[in-house]
Amino acid sequence: MRKLLFILTFIGLLGGISLQAKEYTIQEIPMVHLQDRTRYVSNPDNILSPSAVATMDSILYALEEKTGIQTLVVAVTGIEGGDCFDFAYRLGKEMGVGQKERDNGLVILLSTDERCIQFATGYGLEGVLPDAICKRIQSRYMVKHLGKEDWNTGMVEGIRAVNAYLDGSMENIGGQEEDDDTAILIFLAFIFGGVILFTLIVAYFGNRCPKCKKRHALQRVSSQVVSRKLGVITSEVTYLCKYCGHRHVTKEQSSDPNFRGPRGGSTIFMGGGGFGRGGGGFSGGSFGGGSFGGGGAGSRF
Amino acid sequence: MKKSTIILIAIIAIAAIWGVSAYNGLVKMDESVNTAWSNVENQYQRRADLIPNLVNTVKGYAAHEKETLEAVMAARSKATQMTIDADNLTPEKLQEYQKAQGEIGSALGRLLAITEAYPDLKANENFKELQAQLEGTENRISVERRNFNEVARTYNTSIRTFPKTIIAGMCGFDKRPYFEAEEGANKAPEVKF
Repeated sequence: MRKLLFILTFIGLLGGISLQAKEYTIQEIPMVHLQDRTRYVSNPDNILSPSAVATMDSILYALEEKTGIQTLVVAVTGIEGGDCFDFAYRLGKEMGVGQKERDNGLVILLSTDERCIQFATGYGLEGVLPDAICKRIQSRYMVKHLGKEDWNTGMVEGIRAVNAYLDGSMENIGGQEEDDDTAILIFLAFIFGGVILFTLIVAYFGNRCPKCKKRHALQRVSSQVVSRKLGVITSEVTYLCKYCGHRHVTKEQSSDPNFRGPRGGSTIFMGGGGFGRGGGGFSGGSFGGGSFGGGGAGSRF
Repeated sequence: MKKSTIILIAIIAIAAIWGVSAYNGLVKMDESVNTAWSNVENQYQRRADLIPNLVNTVKGYAAHEKETLEAVMAARSKATQMTIDADNLTPEKLQEYQKAQGEIGSALGRLLAITEAYPDLKANENFKELQAQLEGTENRISVERRNFNEVARTYNTSIRTFPKTIIAGMCGFDKRPYFEAEEGANKAPEVKF
């Protein structure tokens, strides 16, 4: 009987959870910007349409390019705790939205269960985007649409208004991304240089005749496949020394391009080409580590 | 020199180096508590600065709510007289400070409650923005208070754990008080829109 009761309670709980809107914790909000630096809108419940998200992303990307202001837009059905200000503030603080020295992060949170729209501004944005302006943007452009559950229009209009207000407010100086790029460039230069050096060394020392010890002496004459085993081709390669005529035979192994594994049939697999958005040269972005002091404003609708 | 003397000197030297670095660490932490405290005071001051403007705006629409308006101003002047130097922040003083600020909070709450009866006032753009600023300030206050408590807790833990407690005792590092959880009169005014 107790067992039955337990199971019933469990099922009841499960049902209750699935009926309710999901309440997100800070950690559960997917950070799309970290996967793709051109994206800013986290929309895990598909409250917003793809086209609205794309519009906002492009506006916010342009804004960050011009001003360095980093924005995080989150649209969810519910948040844990139900305190919109606290959630938006903690999102900004814990994710470190905004450049580190300038603290110019902005978090815009829409929670449809709490029926709230909340802006949280970083320390450095408090002067540029005061609470009163946040409030004005919300009441003029967002609340009337959000009240009618027209999430797309409300959010896009709001983002447009924020962008119009912030555009030209500051310059994008000390871009963190650029620093990253130069670091990558230096790293690549090192690798590239290393590869060239290695090739030169191998070419210099590796091509030596074992008999007369002259360098650059060996020429590849012929090669013969000895065995094909588990994708490894072993072949006998014969080299001839240009100077002393010494024949040098070695066994070389290479991977078999036709090998398809033990279960492989004759089907030809095309490479697993993904068509994800991140595929075409988009790299993950990062939040700079800006700090927040409780700026911003919120409205209910 | 005897071997034991050398060992003794070495031990003393190590202890001195440790003592200096521990002392410096405590000074740094002490400073961060002071900074956190001044941030709290700044935000309370910011709220106090908003009040005259708010009161004047409300007066334009609801002049006969004199009592409530005066109560806000009185609470404000009482609280702004009180500033605490971070270095002699005692639990009693903090409690007093919190009480004075809590009175502003509840007076503001009453003020905002009566504005509900004035639709013209509520539609006033200036009033709306003042309300937004006020709400933002309340948020900042709670953020800074929480931050102060965190910093003070780190500091308090540090001065009370062995072996740093020896240094703290010798050099007079005192325990710092915390902000108490808000209750009753200290509750920030609920600003509804």
